[in-house]
Amino acid sequence: MSRADLEAGQVIRMSLLFRVQHLLLTVLLTVLAVTGFALMYHENSLAQWIIRLEGGVHNRGIVHRVAAVLMMANLVYHVFYMLFSREGKPELRQLLIGRQDIDDFFQSLRYNIGTAKEYPRFGKYGYKEKFQYWGASAGIILISFTGIMLWAEGFSMVFFPKVVLDLAIVIHGYQGLLAFVILFLWHLYNVHLHPSVFPMNPSWITGKVSSEWMREEHPLEYEKLKREGHL
Amino acid sequence: MRKFAFAAVLFFLGGAFLPGIARDASASISLEKCTLCHGKPEFRKLLVGGSIRDLFVTGDMLEGSVHSKKGCTDCHFDVSEIPHRERPRRVTCTHCHFKGNKEGAPQSDNVLAYFDSAHGKAIAKGNTKAPLCQDCHGSHAILKVKDPASKVARGKVAETCGKCHMEIYAQYKGSIHGTALAKGIAEVPSCTGCHGEHRIYAHNDPKSTIYSTHVSEQCSKCHSSISIMGKFGIETEQVATYKESFHGVANQFGSRTVANCSSCHGVHDIRPPDDPLSMVNPKNVPKTCGKCHPGANPNFAIGKIHVDAKKKESGIIYWTATFFKWLTIGTMLALVAHIFLDMYGRTRRLRGER
Repeated sequence: MSRADLEAGQVIRMSLLFRVQHLLLTVLLTVLAVTGFALMYHENSLAQWIIRLEGGVHNRGIVHRVAAVLMMANLVYHVFYMLFSREGKPELRQLLIGRQDIDDFFQSLRYNIGTAKEYPRFGKYGYKEKFQYWGASAGIILISFTGIMLWAEGFSMVFFPKVVLDLAIVIHGYQGLLAFVILFLWHLYNVHLHPSVFPMNPSWITGKVSSEWMREEHPLEYEKLKREGHL
Repeated sequence: MRKFAFAAVLFFLGGAFLPGIARDASASISLEKCTLCHGKPEFRKLLVGGSIRDLFVTGDMLEGSVHSKKGCTDCHFDVSEIPHRERPRRVTCTHCHFKGNKEGAPQSDNVLAYFDSAHGKAIAKGNTKAPLCQDCHGSHAILKVKDPASKVARGKVAETCGKCHMEIYAQYKGSIHGTALAKGIAEVPSCTGCHGEHRIYAHNDPKSTIYSTHVSEQCSKCHSSISIMGKFGIETEQVATYKESFHGVANQFGSRTVANCSSCHGVHDIRPPDDPLSMVNPKNVPKTCGKCHPGANPNFAIGKIHVDAKKKESGIIYWTATFFKWLTIGTMLALVAHIFLDMYGRTRRLRGER
């Protein structure tokens, strides 16, 4: 953190590499959702308009697959980065779900309905962020596997009967819908509509958040940064 | 004599206003004159190719037909002397059947449609074997379509088309549609049910009802109707499930290489799935799928082909879809509840801080 940042009361939350990965994910998930739902709801007139915009079902498939390959590459890169890089390893450790997160979740519930006095004190990632992160990862892995199965249908059918591929279609579609619902309701609320960040948490572009926000929403992280002399 | 002349004048005057009668009375050669020769059963001609052309026609043949009141030269109007020296030309039905004709002969756009059809275009190109009106409707004993004895009646039309399209007729006769037709089932399609009547186009003409992107629509006319299919205990879900499938979606968006109904079920030789000759018999499914998916193996036949995730009969697919449906609904409810609780709690937190 530079001196200027400190003077402006800002701390780094997302490094450049994470921001690039996040931006890629944003764009690719949007493309995948638009092209995917257009097929899933092909009887809808808006969906038909989108498919025509993409140049027909064949081209829609190409767009969808290109975005999917890039997204999977992004995921693979992310996994390697989290497992082996100097920056990634501690991040991964902080993202692991532990007993504390379950306690935090229930404590926040109790606080919200008024039976607990203290709101849980989060580290860099609270249970909300962890749920989002692991939910998205599991979803992407599941949807990638079913997607590859459907893409290489001739190859898949060497090993699996047709019923398994039908199952893959159902899972792929519904998984996409579920991911979209979570993203829409959860992520939109937490990083855009939440009163502490509205209209949005700027860290996905600038990488920085205010130290004041950090103290309020992630007090343990704030204290840690302070202890380490970053603030 | 004077009385007769008066009657004749009246007759002619009247005839001028009564379409159809005037010409009959003035120009037609009586039936008897023609049947002097044509009324003999052995009256026939040996053609160049060695085949025999039967020229036996009697007045009885017109009896009961739509033209029962017509004389020979009403249609064979190029015959002006008897015996005629030249072979009369083929009868032109449009001589009477045109819009606004004085005869009152029925006329629809069917004639015009015919000229645009594959048959009409073949005629125009000079193909003498292509059918004209009389080849399907019959020459002398032309009956109304609704008459079961008519050559173009529902039960007979396949046979009529089969005169030229012999191989296809043989396939059709063995198919489920053909055998049902033979049993007298009225709902079953004969040739015209799928190909149209006058607007018959080649299968690779986009105007055709059986063009690759129109086939499913054509089949679903009957196969999506519960009132028709219910009679025979056939499911109608095939239409909906096809439309939902990758094949169906691509087809609806104009793909011509993707499978339509007939790609898997056959065209003229459609047989029920339990028939060992059926293309969709589980034993034949790998071969049928293999036409487009090289290397298709028995795995292609494991699992329902027309699968509907919304139906319990689909087994694991239904249960997975239902699980995901409730998981999604549950997640939505949980997230919305959490968001509202969070907002509520946060408001209190802010108030407390103030």
